[in-house]
Amino acid sequence: MLMPPFILHHPSSVEEACSIASELIERGEDFDWVSGGTDLLANYKWRINTKPNVISLSKIPGIDTVSDLEIGCMARLSNLEGSNVHPMIAEAAGKVASSLIRKSATLGGNLCLDTRCFWYNQSEDWRRSIEWCHKADCGTGADCRVIPNQNTLCVATYQGDIAPVLMVLGASVHLIGPNGERVIPLSEFYQLDGMKKNVLENGEFLLKVSLPEDSLSRVGSYQKLRVRDSWDFPEAGVAASWIEGDRSSIKVATTALESIPRIHTEEVSQIIEQGWDDEKSVKSLAGVIRKSVKPVNNTALPPNYRRSVVRVLIKRAFSQMK
Amino acid sequence: MSGGYRQQPNSARKDGKRVAGKQVFPPPGAGGSDPVMKERDLNFIPESVGGKEPQPAGSHIHDRIRTGTIVGKPLPLVDSNAKVTGQAWYGDDVRLANESIGKILRSPHHYAKIISIDTSKVEALPGVIAVATGADSPNSFGVLPVTKDEHAMAVEKVRHMGDLVACVSAIDEATAIEALGLFEIEWEILEPVFDPKKGLEDTDEPIHWRGKYHLAKTNVQKRVFQEFGDRSLVENPFSSSHGKWTMAGVHHGFTEPHAVVAHWDPNGRLQLYTPQQVPHYTHRALSTVLDVPMHQINVIRTFVGGGFGGKSDPFPHEMCAAILARKSGRPVRITFDREEVYWINRGRHPSNIEVKMSADKEGRISGFDIDALIDGGGFASFGHVTSYYNGVLATAPYELGSFHYTGARVWTNKPASGAMRGHGAVNTRCAVEVGLDEMAEQMNVDPIDLRLANLLPPHSRTITGFRITSNGMREALERVREGSDWDNKFRKLPLGKGIGIGCGFFISGSGLPIHWDPNRFPHATVHIQVDMDGGVTVHTGAADIGQGSTTAVAQVVSEVLALPIEMIHVRSHESDTSPVDLGSYSSRVTFMNANAAIRAALDIREKLLDAAWDILGYHPNTLIINDRRIYYKHDPAIGVSYLQALHKAQEDKGALISSGSYRSPPMGGVHKGAAAGLAPAYSFSAYVAEVDVDIELGLIKCTNVWAAHDCGKALNPLAVKGQIIGSCHMGLGQVLSEKMVYGRTGHLQNANLLEYKIPSIHEMPHVEPIIVESSDPEGPFGAKEAGEGPLLPILPAVVNAVYDAIGIRYNDLPLTPDIVFKGVEKKRKKLNLEEATDLPSPRFTHGPKSIELQKALVKRSEEHKKRDLARQKTEDTSPYVNGVLFGFDPNIPLEDQVEGWRMATEPDPEQLAELGLAGKAWLKKEQRHMGGEE
Amino acid sequence: MVGTEYVSMTPKAAKEIWSAKVNGESVEELITSNAILLDVLRDQVGTLGVKRGCDLGTCGCCTVIIDGDARLSCLCLAGQVSDSEITTVEGLSEGAHLAPIQTCFAEHGGSQCGFCTPGFLLSAQALLEENDSPTDEEISCAIEGNLCRCTGYQQIVDSIKAAAEIHRGESEPVPPASNPHPNPHPDGPEEPSMPPGHAR
Repeated sequence: MLMPPFILHHPSSVEEACSIASELIERGEDFDWVSGGTDLLANYKWRINTKPNVISLSKIPGIDTVSDLEIGCMARLSNLEGSNVHPMIAEAAGKVASSLIRKSATLGGNLCLDTRCFWYNQSEDWRRSIEWCHKADCGTGADCRVIPNQNTLCVATYQGDIAPVLMVLGASVHLIGPNGERVIPLSEFYQLDGMKKNVLENGEFLLKVSLPEDSLSRVGSYQKLRVRDSWDFPEAGVAASWIEGDRSSIKVATTALESIPRIHTEEVSQIIEQGWDDEKSVKSLAGVIRKSVKPVNNTALPPNYRRSVVRVLIKRAFSQMK
Repeated sequence: MSGGYRQQPNSARKDGKRVAGKQVFPPPGAGGSDPVMKERDLNFIPESVGGKEPQPAGSHIHDRIRTGTIVGKPLPLVDSNAKVTGQAWYGDDVRLANESIGKILRSPHHYAKIISIDTSKVEALPGVIAVATGADSPNSFGVLPVTKDEHAMAVEKVRHMGDLVACVSAIDEATAIEALGLFEIEWEILEPVFDPKKGLEDTDEPIHWRGKYHLAKTNVQKRVFQEFGDRSLVENPFSSSHGKWTMAGVHHGFTEPHAVVAHWDPNGRLQLYTPQQVPHYTHRALSTVLDVPMHQINVIRTFVGGGFGGKSDPFPHEMCAAILARKSGRPVRITFDREEVYWINRGRHPSNIEVKMSADKEGRISGFDIDALIDGGGFASFGHVTSYYNGVLATAPYELGSFHYTGARVWTNKPASGAMRGHGAVNTRCAVEVGLDEMAEQMNVDPIDLRLANLLPPHSRTITGFRITSNGMREALERVREGSDWDNKFRKLPLGKGIGIGCGFFISGSGLPIHWDPNRFPHATVHIQVDMDGGVTVHTGAADIGQGSTTAVAQVVSEVLALPIEMIHVRSHESDTSPVDLGSYSSRVTFMNANAAIRAALDIREKLLDAAWDILGYHPNTLIINDRRIYYKHDPAIGVSYLQALHKAQEDKGALISSGSYRSPPMGGVHKGAAAGLAPAYSFSAYVAEVDVDIELGLIKCTNVWAAHDCGKALNPLAVKGQIIGSCHMGLGQVLSEKMVYGRTGHLQNANLLEYKIPSIHEMPHVEPIIVESSDPEGPFGAKEAGEGPLLPILPAVVNAVYDAIGIRYNDLPLTPDIVFKGVEKKRKKLNLEEATDLPSPRFTHGPKSIELQKALVKRSEEHKKRDLARQKTEDTSPYVNGVLFGFDPNIPLEDQVEGWRMATEPDPEQLAELGLAGKAWLKKEQRHMGGEE
Repeated sequence: MVGTEYVSMTPKAAKEIWSAKVNGESVEELITSNAILLDVLRDQVGTLGVKRGCDLGTCGCCTVIIDGDARLSCLCLAGQVSDSEITTVEGLSEGAHLAPIQTCFAEHGGSQCGFCTPGFLLSAQALLEENDSPTDEEISCAIEGNLCRCTGYQQIVDSIKAAAEIHRGESEPVPPASNPHPNPHPDGPEEPSMPPGHAR
């Protein structure tokens, strides 16, 4: 598959990256960031939303560091497995795609993963024959193919594995761009629209992830549903964490069920308020969260099934709770 | 012996240095890398000729020519070094000087007429070298002579999304892709058909038109009716099962995408490089499409990166490359994207299958009723044959009271289905084996015992008239039963864990070479040439697609001539040098080509022995041919080296040349369709699978498989095991995760390897391959096929194991987690249980009657075991036909013994009302009977 | 009517000089800025042993070793790995001698059609270079990104285990039957010598 033409820029520092970005913005030229390339390049080969410029982060030294409280965006997923990061992060990273992909894929890329949909992740010829879709409409203003006649929202699914885990560990993301750096909680990073996906502004990229001290005392697990134990994106994913002995610390996040990974703060506090009674509360929490997620028919498995099994995944996520 | 054989005697210098132009010929006998002759390996020489190799199935016609060299020993594939060094050259690795890149314009519509194509803008694009459309390829082709319904590019209409419309070659890929956007095409959109059931109905615009043979105005491409046996046995069954199956289409999933390079050489001959399983069909089709005699075309088979049936049709892109190359005078290379691979498809047919089975109170199978509606997609491909295979290959290995089959293949506006490993036999086999289990469950007997008590013996005839020769079914069942510890597990495992059985039966080479009369031309021919250097060159058209056909052919030659395998060079790539051959399909290569190779090698062997007779003065009957040396039986020191004998044999003649061929014996019935499924031998297999079912999520994990396959004789156990394990992998994919998904718009939604879910290493169970050797009397050294048959049993074994685990019968394939989950929820609600984990596990519920029946079955199978052994060793040579179990006399035609014994290939008028789904095709009339196009 | 907008493939992206060490040799190629490593290796460097199976990261046929890591060359921009050390299947053998992993794949049936083989070899080699005593699970994990449709993986795992034994020095490498470059015995015997016990 031939790569559509673009210019690859290789900045060697964060500053240079930002200045290339602002130059391109000034010139009115579109661009994408690329780190490991395992997500972006597949889409480019399908000629999905390609840009004339791509800025690579791979030649910038020092942004791939891995420590227990801070992980650089260029940290490769294979480096997170078996490293000194929180075991839940290592677990989730180890479940992403295949070992070969994890050697290239990065944390930043995984968090900024493009949303997916079987009407969208197709070749140009294929998409052309359905007269495009809302997410890649090629200027035609095409309708959404999953839920037709609504035309305002893209419902492509976010299928990253690591975001829900970082959310329940209370992670923040550091975003940097021509206008400087800002830090926001990861749970506020995503935007419920399969096209916009997240709050990154034009020219900004995700520089690093930081974790609060208390994340080190958190335990929990990540449950991933997939058909094959290699290659497959999650069809549903649940991460839960807590501090042993402190039921009020419980956090639950889901992924692969909507256009964004979501932390279920309200649902959890609703159940906690009723007084936590382990098995029973997990069950009611599972019920509430199951109701709150609304998967659509755009991944390998049907949405009603993905929704139903959220209950089981939550139960299993809490099975280690003492 | 003196100083060895010299090219020119006395010309060598005494100081040992060589004289220019008069070089010393290699020392006699040199060859291979071992200077020491290997002793005869008696462990690999059969008992019947004085060796130590046990022969439980009796002696074999080829025993006499065994030399203990290589047959039966695990051997790396002879071309494996090319593969592990990256030097194996596949389709896209052929890079010719001055090549151009071809791309294909594909239809964006499911079904449409082409009103006009304007190529002027394409031609004007700088860098474009040649453009072609349907107008350049008016001649149709197809893999079967009866259904030539394909064109290189759409001539009048496109029949599925991705169908070929036009093609272009350019200086590079970018220009070619750019050019595809410049075609201006006017379409008339037609109403597509996606549902095969709709294909049975009349329509305004059938996808193809077959003139007077067209069935009314439907999209039915082929219908089949077969009824055999005593239908009265089906009435009032003691036990019966009924399964309605929906099976998704699956794809071969070979790792190498299609690629082709075409080049018209300066002499005006076409050189076409393509990864083909059946280069000969491509050869024929190219000749038709291009209007060029076959001898002006050289089809060069590259290494084939997996075929599995998916590279056995002549393909339109092969024609496109040839047309573009002819137009431009430059080599053209076309390589598919993975998506295009799915669009050309030829995978397993999406099928709706209904199976009704019945058994009498003695546990005999009184009836098999099969109805199979298969979705052919846009073209016929091998579909004519598939339509038969879905029925007739499901009958054996069982003895049946009656058999009733209706099948129909319909065209739909989807990529064409075709032949895939286990062609036509896989889906119905699954339905039938699960049906047997269901009956065993009803009768409360062990399903293995039920099978063992209903097997056809060796040297018998099936209900549809297939001639069974060797038959290792019983041994296969017994060995998986023992290996898996079946008796301690079946119906005894906890909820979520299960064990299941499945059997298989498959042809070992199609008996009918579809392009010619088998009475006039052989199925396979092999040429051997041995020149002065002693190396043996073998020419065969057998296409090595990774299964190791080159190795098999080299092996048998090596065995007969007792030469190290390194001295055998198989040339099979070019049609210029290969004898005409049907290539690699229907699991024919080992059986047919190896047989032909043996015959060719025997000829050489005879000449060598005669020469040794001349030199030694001992008659060939008293000579032993061994590793590079022929010697006197009673005094091994008296002998000649291979080279000496060879050179003697070459006196006055030059190189030894021989040709050997194989044709199958006349066999089978005379009814319509009798040739479908006919083969000179059949393979048998039995698998036991163990599964873990995550009952809450619906995820199935197959953990262990005991896989027994009767391949007659494992010429190369390493390769046979590889085929068995590989078959398990492919079958598991179909039963658990693989399907071609067509969405609500009729688009193929998962034309890529991420969403088309082929199992990874994590989904692979541990497979224990068990080789059963029934020694086929006509097979080469007793061998039969091992490439396709081993796939069949894994599907039903898994489905049956899932029932054993959770007590739910599924009739939809694949068993994706959502399907399993749905079944579990349904049952949970029905039983009013809180949690899925509370479901009951299926258990035996023996009553006195079932215990009695179980005992009777065991007793019967013990008797049959003795019967089978006697027949296998040909101690008992009495005729045996299907029906003896029901008390018929095999010496009298069955129709003379029982009134109402049927052998029909068309339904009786009164049957029309009760036919199944596919049977509905029989409600329609052909045009010629409707007064239509004469 | 179907959509008509599409991405233009021309003019091609600007060209730049790309250098790297491929199989121990320095190479320099003039590549387009957007070039994918797989395309550069196959079409320019000429290492056709790197196979294109799916082109989207889901088959592993294009695996190469980049600076010690087995990675997918189809999802790798050449520009991102300039100046690295790249090993393809052509670089596995040392001169005329096959690497243990290569002979073991041949001997143990790890290769059938052979198309996925280069990818498996490199994934396995990268594993063995890091860890010469891998467990079954570590082997599975190392090759989970490689798809094989022929073997069902079992004989591939056997091959890797056998190669690991050679890496650990527990068994002898290169059985002669599969050695493509055996030493031709220059002056062999006049006829194959009789095995002991038979000679007069």
